[in-house]
Amino acid sequence: MNFTPLLLLLTLALFAWYLSLLAGRLDRLHHRVETSWANLDGLLQRRAAIALEIARSDFADPASSLLLTFASHQAREASVKDRSQAESGLSGALAILRETSGAHSDLAVQDLFRELGELNAKIEVAVALHVESVNRTQLIRSKWIIRTFRLAGSAPLPVTYEFESDVL
Amino acid sequence: MTFERKKIGIVCPYGWDTPGGVQAHVADLATYLISQGHTVSVLAPTSSEENLPDYLVSAGKPIAIPYNGAVARILFGPVAFSRVRNWISNGDFDLIHLHEPAIPSISLLACFAAEGPMVGTFHASSKRQRAIFAIGPILEPVIEKLTARIAVSEAARTTLREHLETDAVVVPNGIYAKPLSQGKIDPRWSGNTIGFIGRFEEPRKGLSVLIEALPEVVRKHPDIKILVAGPGDSLEYLKDVPADLRHRFTFLGRITESEKADFLRSIGVYVAPNTGGESFGIILAEALAAGAAVVASDIPAFQTLLGDGSYGTLFQSENAHSLALKINHVLENENERDALRAAGKEYAQSFDWDVVAQRIYEVYEMAMVGLGKVTLSSDNRGFNKFLGRQ
Repeated sequence: MNFTPLLLLLTLALFAWYLSLLAGRLDRLHHRVETSWANLDGLLQRRAAIALEIARSDFADPASSLLLTFASHQAREASVKDRSQAESGLSGALAILRETSGAHSDLAVQDLFRELGELNAKIEVAVALHVESVNRTQLIRSKWIIRTFRLAGSAPLPVTYEFESDVL
Repeated sequence: MTFERKKIGIVCPYGWDTPGGVQAHVADLATYLISQGHTVSVLAPTSSEENLPDYLVSAGKPIAIPYNGAVARILFGPVAFSRVRNWISNGDFDLIHLHEPAIPSISLLACFAAEGPMVGTFHASSKRQRAIFAIGPILEPVIEKLTARIAVSEAARTTLREHLETDAVVVPNGIYAKPLSQGKIDPRWSGNTIGFIGRFEEPRKGLSVLIEALPEVVRKHPDIKILVAGPGDSLEYLKDVPADLRHRFTFLGRITESEKADFLRSIGVYVAPNTGGESFGIILAEALAAGAAVVASDIPAFQTLLGDGSYGTLFQSENAHSLALKINHVLENENERDALRAAGKEYAQSFDWDVVAQRIYEVYEMAMVGLGKVTLSSDNRGFNKFLGRQ
């Protein structure tokens, strides 16, 4: 009796199972990229909203008010690719304002800055998580076996989000 | 800040009954989270069923195996695996927090079995090892499932980056800074004394370096005494100490938390001569919080913790001469020592559980976004659903 076809079939089945495992792994990573981005995006939108609120308060002088409004508008409008640059711009504008403001007696403004501080701590973690999941996904997707068998399907390659956390 | 009440599962890989940094960290974290109104369940191996806290679920008896230069009491195997799976499916957790998931233990098993929001904390730091090349491909897909990673120190983060090519958020270990800062000076321990806390029999704790440095210290300070606190066989240990130095040693055995605060407050200088294998150095953070003047070896973890010497004195690791010089210097310069004590005490507040737990919870929050509850990954497999298996 000839076992060759049987063996061949078994090898093929094993290989297919391995491929499905890899695909599952990749799917999970893609899912994670989506959720971590959605989370980061939400936090950044909140930050832009707070920046606008600070810009509208009588605490900011007209010049910094203009700067903040412009920066937060740009951050909201930017596409995913330009987002990190726009957000860094907003970070910079906020940092300048905070440095020059000193102690402010108005409770409402103090509250805004405290909220901003808490948000920044969260954004820092969210950025770390997102960068990690993007790097992971890109690494796995560059494997030859995944490229050859097109396991990523039509999912877009995740974009690296460069964010200088020190400007936060 | 208001907390939402969550169900959190924590897995501790090391035997609960043996004292250790990871166990203490898990116990403190669990207590803190419970005090914030969360429901917490800790899964850990235990040798006996007695005196266990309410939140603890036993995963079975640990086995002692050598790992990373020490004997680790951990657990794995099919029975443990089914317990881990039961714990996950019965727990209905919003998030599980796995400690040290990269060693063969129930943490790794839980990481393998679960799906959903998972946070992993990496405590250990070690040099790049050959074995990693062999186990890397097996570990990688499992560790990849962690939604967020925490490293307890820069050293642990570097290890993680080198071994598994993933990055982590650094959140230090926590201490209870307040009770530690309230220690009183005890005349039995004050004066020209050198303090040491830890399992002194372990070579990597470096007590032998201190013994080697002693003759040089004795020459300058004839009345110097060594106080050693921590579990171990002191009589056996003293046999290896030169006869003329033996009378300078006092072994206190294991001490309570309040004794620890008094001890650290009273001693002339605290010495941490560890030669390696240390990732964070919780005892140094505690010593600083209690207001002790610290002399420590310049291994990476201690360098980071002491701010490159801003909050304590560093000596060249495993160099007895360097250690003796630094001890003499600290004992002789009263003003400098007091300045270091004050700076260290202030700085150690950043390791208080109030600060640390808040940061850990921030990571939890980020990990829980949009991922639902923790489930068993086998329940989600297509063919199991197809076959109607539960």
